[in-house]
Amino acid sequence: MIAYTVRRLAYGFATVLGVLTFLFALFFLYATPEDMARRALGEKAPPQALEQWIVNHDYHHPLLWNPDNPGQTLIVDHFRRMLTFDFGRSDADDVLVTRRLRKGVGPSLSLTVPLFVGGLFVSISLALFVATFRETYIDRAGVALCVFAMSVSILLYIIGGQFLIARVLRWFPISGFDPSPEVIGRFLVLPVFVGLAASFGEQVRFYRTVFVEETNRDYVRTARAKGCGDGRVMWHHVLRNAMIPIITRVVLAIPFLFTGSILLESFFAIPGLGSITVDAIHENDFATLRVMVFLGSLLFIVGQIATDICYTLADPRVRLE
Amino acid sequence: MAKVGAAVWIFILCALAACTNNPYPDADSGRSVLYRTMRKSPPKTLDPAVAYSVADHLVTGTVYDTLIDYDYLARPYRLIPGLVEAIPEEVEHGDGTWSLSFRLRPDLVYDTDECFELSRSGARSRPILASDIAFELMRLADPSVGSPVGAVFARIVGYAEFTKRLQALRDGDPAFEARRIDEQYREAGGVDGIRVRSDRDLEIVLSQSFPQLLYWFAMEFTTPVPWEAVVYYDGEDGRDVFSEHAVATGPFRLTRYEKRSRISLEPNSNWYGIRHPEWHAPGATYPTRGSQEDRSSGLLDPRYVGRPLPFLDGVELVFENEQIPGFNKFLQGYYDYSAIIEETFDQVVSEGGLTPGMEAMGVGLSKTPQAAVYYVGFNMDDPVVGRSGGDRSRLLRQAMSHAIDSEEFIRLFFSDRGIAAESPLPPSIFGSEEGEGNPFRRVDLDRARTLLAEAGYSRGIDPATGRPLKLSFTTGDTSARARLRYQFFVDSWRRIGIDVEIKSTNYNQFQDVLRRGAYQTFFFGWGADYPDPENFLFLLWGDLAKSKSGGANSANFDNPEYDALFLEMRNLPNGPERLAIIGRMLEILRVERPWIEIFTPEEYVLSHGWVRNLKSFGMSVPMLQYLDVDAPARTERRMAWNQPLEWPAWVLAALVVAAVIPGIVTFLRERQ
Repeated sequence: MIAYTVRRLAYGFATVLGVLTFLFALFFLYATPEDMARRALGEKAPPQALEQWIVNHDYHHPLLWNPDNPGQTLIVDHFRRMLTFDFGRSDADDVLVTRRLRKGVGPSLSLTVPLFVGGLFVSISLALFVATFRETYIDRAGVALCVFAMSVSILLYIIGGQFLIARVLRWFPISGFDPSPEVIGRFLVLPVFVGLAASFGEQVRFYRTVFVEETNRDYVRTARAKGCGDGRVMWHHVLRNAMIPIITRVVLAIPFLFTGSILLESFFAIPGLGSITVDAIHENDFATLRVMVFLGSLLFIVGQIATDICYTLADPRVRLE
Repeated sequence: MAKVGAAVWIFILCALAACTNNPYPDADSGRSVLYRTMRKSPPKTLDPAVAYSVADHLVTGTVYDTLIDYDYLARPYRLIPGLVEAIPEEVEHGDGTWSLSFRLRPDLVYDTDECFELSRSGARSRPILASDIAFELMRLADPSVGSPVGAVFARIVGYAEFTKRLQALRDGDPAFEARRIDEQYREAGGVDGIRVRSDRDLEIVLSQSFPQLLYWFAMEFTTPVPWEAVVYYDGEDGRDVFSEHAVATGPFRLTRYEKRSRISLEPNSNWYGIRHPEWHAPGATYPTRGSQEDRSSGLLDPRYVGRPLPFLDGVELVFENEQIPGFNKFLQGYYDYSAIIEETFDQVVSEGGLTPGMEAMGVGLSKTPQAAVYYVGFNMDDPVVGRSGGDRSRLLRQAMSHAIDSEEFIRLFFSDRGIAAESPLPPSIFGSEEGEGNPFRRVDLDRARTLLAEAGYSRGIDPATGRPLKLSFTTGDTSARARLRYQFFVDSWRRIGIDVEIKSTNYNQFQDVLRRGAYQTFFFGWGADYPDPENFLFLLWGDLAKSKSGGANSANFDNPEYDALFLEMRNLPNGPERLAIIGRMLEILRVERPWIEIFTPEEYVLSHGWVRNLKSFGMSVPMLQYLDVDAPARTERRMAWNQPLEWPAWVLAALVVAAVIPGIVTFLRERQ
């Protein structure tokens, strides 16, 4: 198990290096330091101001190779900063990137945690419900509904939700965010609802399959023979035994709670980490973008390893070699 | 487990039941707070030496007061004293220098801020001093600040030398850079031409006459900045950076600066307008004079005229990532005014006015021409279209000018939001009336073909090749939308037989192409820094030719008569004499055609009936202190417009139950 974990960590490290290299290449293929300076200073800024910006932000070093001082290139600086977690300041407004991360994580979590927990409860209870009535028209209608829900793009849910629920029915604000406890709820209901609508189809289908498989097992027949009702069988026995696949999914998803939801945050004007990523792309803000990508890849690797480990904890038959 | 599940479902249903679309706390509905969106992006910086975008100015222009202000109502624009007692006049000295003397009002103080601890233990504010303006001017000269307008002030005696000395000291001694910034400036000897005569008196000595300098003192670049703020807000130990923290000198102070969601402002009780209403200072009271048009549109309401500013209890600037949600919130009454977005243009405007639906809501529409101009330029250094081609090239330029239909261009690409340009001067600028009736900006294809034939390109055929004349059109925007616009020009020229090829690059490469000189025609625009004809006509001044000096004259137009007139015009006050000179300059441009003037964009602003005193300014000066809102009226309309429709929820729930119940019943019956 330890050998396995070490090996996975080594793979993970290589993956992160690859991601960082790829990001560097992609970014500087697309943008030059002059483009970044222009974006930061505006269209009217004279050439001297652009040059000054480039010097002030240390982008005047060569990209890959500096014959005078091999250590002073943008790529060396890029790796040094990321691998030592020295994130520096944003290219767009000189704010410490760590400060922006700290500010963004709260709004992100206040959206992703209810979405995650709510999604879990809604999909599991709906899946249990349709699994209870399997092979009836309720089940078949459920399948149709789920497949339909899975096929529609999340953008349609967002725009449709904003139009129908916020504009026509006027139940919630169209967009926005305010962390004060009095109003935070009303901003979150609609994005959470839209997020649920976009994801429940796939989840319900998955859990239903798991539950239906479980309902054919011997212990279910035993429980019924002993006089258990449908509700107790499904919510007590089946749900508990279906925990392994559920845990796998859940653990894999947890790291991404921190990276926020790019589309939902962007359309609902929630100033979370997803918005920061989008803004960094729009603003040619390499310093912030690379941190978001770097952290995203780290979290992905952590999630993968944690899932593997959870397998062994939840099911003693699984061994990591 | 089942109980938890039930609890979650009950929670969700309760959340649905307690619904409202009001994005603000209910307690705020009675306060006269102005709600509006930020511009397309949040501010990049609040450092007044650097802030140069409309988004930045929305905040910096509100929290920083300037030495000189603009009259809110007067058009053409008029300067009035702000933090200074009177607008100074340039004095010519015999020795080839000119000077301006500013005298600050008495008893000016900064907003309370913990940075003042640095100058005196326990201090939370201090007087605004003339040396603070000098400090800010030195920051503009400091390369490490990176001000985009540093070069403007180079006419101050000793300004460039100060930059050099400062840089040399920093390069020579790493310890120097670690010292306090104001000490570094002192060590570098300061700027010779910036003389602090007393706590309230500042003299600026210039090596050339520079009447337009006054306009730069109406911008936040030259606002007084306390050195304490720059030193204290360094981003270390949990403190903000100075570019994110403003120590207010203006009518409002920041109470919240979450620029990616909300920026909140409240009146700054240390502002002189609030501390000293008895002064009736022009920059701190509502104007008493305005035009007849102002009177008829309610801008001279006796409840406000002559009253001390500001009227609002606060301002909330909300960031909207996407435009459509922002506009919908305006329609719900949650923003007080709004720009018009492309997607909903037809719902809002028809035939130049508001649609009946909008009028029924009590919405008002104001149209303001911006102090900006877009044009197609010719590179006068080019042998085919430029000056070396002599008459032949001039006729070609005139023919190409006749072929472009600006009205059609504005209608197609800007939904009619613009005014066709006939000279470089937009309508709000002094002298613009002299540019009207330009014969070469009339669409006349027959005339264009005749001129083209006179130029030797009969039916557009280049005699050298026997094929249509081939020209390049360099542009700085690669988006699909922009390409369509550029294609419009190409198609227009094709109608007179000329074959023009678009060369699209991004904005930086475009600038680079201009610098290298490898272009024939190009599309460009200019938004004024200040509303003076000089700020437009300098774009064709020979001394600023891109190829000669890297200046703003991208057409490389170089006409000795124009240049002489320009220098004369530059130093004259607005009046008949200046007007006559401008008329002669525009006449030269009319015939020479270094530009084909296309249009001046118009800003359309929608506002609700409860907003008082709104007059668009046409430049990026926010003027929020003049506005007011009728909060009770707003609350009433918001309530009427936003009653939630609940029945669809119950109908939907009933349908779901009705659809599911028979299945459950059947299932249970079969089970038994």
